[in-house]
Amino acid sequence: MASVAGVGLSWRSNLSVCPSSKPSPSQANCRVSSVVKMSVSVEKSFTLQKSEEIFNAAKELMPGGVNSPVRAFRSVGGQPIVFDSVKGSRMWDVDSNEYIDYVGSWGPAIIGHADDKVNSELIETLKKGTSFGAPCLLENVLAEMVIEAVPSIEMVRFVNSGTEACMGAIRLARAFTGRQKIIKFEGCYHGHADSFLVKAGSGVATLGLPDSPGVPKAATSETLTSPFNDLETVKSLFEAHQGEIAAVILEAVVGNAGFITPKPDFLSPLREITREHGSLLIFDEVMTGFRLAYGGAQEYFAVKPDLTTLGKIIGGGLPVGAYGGRRDIMEMVAPAGPMYQAGTLSGNPLAMTAGIHTLRRLKSSGCYEYLDKITGDLVNGLLEAGRDAGHEISGGFIRGMFGFFFTEGPVYNFEDAKKSDTAKFGRFYRGMLEEGVYFAPSQFEAGFTSLAHTAQDIEQTVEAAKRVFRRL
Amino acid sequence: MLGASGVGLSLSSSISACPATKSSRSTRHSSSVVKMAISVEKKPYTLEKSEEIFNAAKNLLPGGVNSPVRAFKSVGGQPIVFDSVKGSKMWDVDGNEYIDYVGSWGPAIIGHADDKVNAALIETLKKGTSFGAPCLLENVLAEMVIAAVPSVEMVRFVNSGTEACMGALRLARAYTGRQKLLKFEGCYHGHADSFLVKAGSGVATLGLPDSPGVPTAAASETLTAPYNDADAVSRLFQQHPGEVAVVVLEPVVGNAGFITPEPEFLAALRRITEENGALLIFDEVMTGFRLAYGGAQEYFGITPDLTTLGKIIGGGLPVGAYGGRREIMEMVAPAGPVYQAGTLSGNPLAMTAGIHTLRRLQEPGTYEHLEEVTGKLVNGLVAAGRAAGHEVSGGFIRGMFGFFFAEGPIRNFEEAKKSDTAKFGRFHRGMLEEGVYLAPSQFEAGFTSLAHTSQDIEQTLDAAKKVFRRI
Repeated sequence: MASVAGVGLSWRSNLSVCPSSKPSPSQANCRVSSVVKMSVSVEKSFTLQKSEEIFNAAKELMPGGVNSPVRAFRSVGGQPIVFDSVKGSRMWDVDSNEYIDYVGSWGPAIIGHADDKVNSELIETLKKGTSFGAPCLLENVLAEMVIEAVPSIEMVRFVNSGTEACMGAIRLARAFTGRQKIIKFEGCYHGHADSFLVKAGSGVATLGLPDSPGVPKAATSETLTSPFNDLETVKSLFEAHQGEIAAVILEAVVGNAGFITPKPDFLSPLREITREHGSLLIFDEVMTGFRLAYGGAQEYFAVKPDLTTLGKIIGGGLPVGAYGGRRDIMEMVAPAGPMYQAGTLSGNPLAMTAGIHTLRRLKSSGCYEYLDKITGDLVNGLLEAGRDAGHEISGGFIRGMFGFFFTEGPVYNFEDAKKSDTAKFGRFYRGMLEEGVYFAPSQFEAGFTSLAHTAQDIEQTVEAAKRVFRRL
Repeated sequence: MLGASGVGLSLSSSISACPATKSSRSTRHSSSVVKMAISVEKKPYTLEKSEEIFNAAKNLLPGGVNSPVRAFKSVGGQPIVFDSVKGSKMWDVDGNEYIDYVGSWGPAIIGHADDKVNAALIETLKKGTSFGAPCLLENVLAEMVIAAVPSVEMVRFVNSGTEACMGALRLARAYTGRQKLLKFEGCYHGHADSFLVKAGSGVATLGLPDSPGVPTAAASETLTAPYNDADAVSRLFQQHPGEVAVVVLEPVVGNAGFITPEPEFLAALRRITEENGALLIFDEVMTGFRLAYGGAQEYFGITPDLTTLGKIIGGGLPVGAYGGRREIMEMVAPAGPVYQAGTLSGNPLAMTAGIHTLRRLQEPGTYEHLEEVTGKLVNGLVAAGRAAGHEVSGGFIRGMFGFFFAEGPIRNFEEAKKSDTAKFGRFHRGMLEEGVYLAPSQFEAGFTSLAHTSQDIEQTLDAAKKVFRRI
């Protein structure tokens, strides 16, 4: 019988360890009871014993033991870590190890985990109900904030994830232009709708998957790909497929193949080419939105797409995605127009609350300057330490987003990124874990800082890195 | 300047009333101040504040909503903006109170804003709402789902029913190596391209044939049959031998209004799919934990290969899931090569809501209570409608119900479409004025909860009698 209550968990579970089919009467004989007790203690040597127990149990319950592939540590090796709590810039695992966190739940935690103000607002809101399935005022409030912030967005639709946002945006682009093909860039990841699982980044890259089985050829045949930062290939694709391309979609700064910035003359010409050909330009700002600047990458680089997708930060730690853009395009979305997209929990008051108060905090002055400073100190510190220890290493950052590769660089595209010494990355990764620093468990993911990261956190991290670099 | 905090909201917002380009916005701003107060005394029925807020919303969100059916397009009248919910009740921004039969489209089966769930949420959120990494609570909810749902030996949590059905479809295609899917007219499985073919829910509500923006190639792999027509299914398998990966259905339809499977329909589908090497997916996003603790598959005694879940398992937060036979689920990354991911999947806050909701449902008497109140409701509605001279038919199973302004029986979407939807619209609006909130579409099922009392049902029936007489 499973029971969970508040802080200080005690858990007894009945697990089937045999791959038997459900109705088998012999199943009862295979049941194994395991009792896991967790307590928080302050001084410990680095052990992942409880993580191992819980994760081993998880592998029987969920594919690979996880609800999202990259969490399984497959490319870095070692024991995946099960967490118990987070606060500010810190995480604590179930063995009570403490880490300085540079994953930030993959982006949402930009104002720091478990922010007190956001939490108190969530508590007020949940008393009034977490979901109505009907309009609520808070949807208007967050919509106005997003519209005001993001240059391209005149109208917005909230959904429940980045995956849903990108799906919606692509369907909309196809409906608006009446065309079917899309261009994406190698190593970019836009959620897991079929059309996007072609030369995708993130976990697809991490696991070394070419494409995913189960995606019909019909879905991927309409997806054209180009290397990132390669304008010539984009131009030739437009030449070869005149009048057929609905949209070009990209991460304006790639985060899902590791951190890759656009070359100076990449984004503006993309804007021109798409405009010339009557195609839409979509910026997938699920990672970069509200992180590179309050107005996202489009504000930072001053290039305005037709549509933008958002996620992560706008949910403030709850599941929210959004797509928005030019009013004339967005008015095609049902029920204003005929393009269908729906969602039971879309715009729910609890998620809206988290987003509103997260954005409020980000609007206060000095936030992006602060992120620029500490992330700069971090990345420069890491690179210097790595090179001093004789490693080939390159990296970069923009405000609260960063990355580094174990290769000389510069890294302009996914092929360059793949030159990274991923085995060394794995060793570095695990070494840093033992030092109490939690990076993304994959070379092909960007890193994230937050307003809660202090100069002390950065110093501690760089000092740890020096030690680890020396023994790699 | 926007301010919204806690109970008793005061909103001063700058809203652009003109479809101007972004740069000219500052000169066209109009300020509107909306103050909301909750009043207890019975008021004349006004939707003034709903109108203000919804009009503002139409400039911000397509159609003013984040999901099409909320715009009231098929029932007409002013869409209602809500302020709070509790138990079986909802309160709108004008202070009107309603008995709720939408239940946020399914999640609220133990009643809105349950105190125990809320207390658990508060404890959890202090420890963080999202880790982006494994947490123990995922195991706990996974075990509960696996213990409950007959077909599910292994499960993957996602963030919505749409994601769950997308994932399950990709998995079925990968497992069988085939591409075609067979769905039923009027059934709705989220909005992934392959499913937007003869779909129910809002697609049906808005009278859309299919959605533009779905590539023909994606839709061409989707075959459709009328619900309850096993012969049509057999024929399609004969016409496409070795090509059909999967049959997907709502084992009790909720997205075309409420339609139950005929006695041998589900068994026939199980047999046909097995004979043909195709998988059978029960989309239990609505029916899961609602028709029985083990869902429709427990209720009808038919076990599919894969099941999708949502709504109730999130306890009012966004959660979906797909699960089934272990050997199939082991194909999902990172255990296998079928890709599907999600930043917020399995987050501790959503898991907490699901765990405590399912706990409550496990208590004895829950499904009996639902059966009783829903039976009274539906039988009362149908009787009242007929007594007033209307053609009405309806049905229910435990906490899910529906009724049509048609003679019935309703066995499929074509028959559902014979309903007098104009009359439904009038009935819907009449009931709103009487303080009863039904789904604003003929093509959606209704939902009751453990918080609905006999008094709620009596009040509803009294209201219905009044309204039936005047429509």
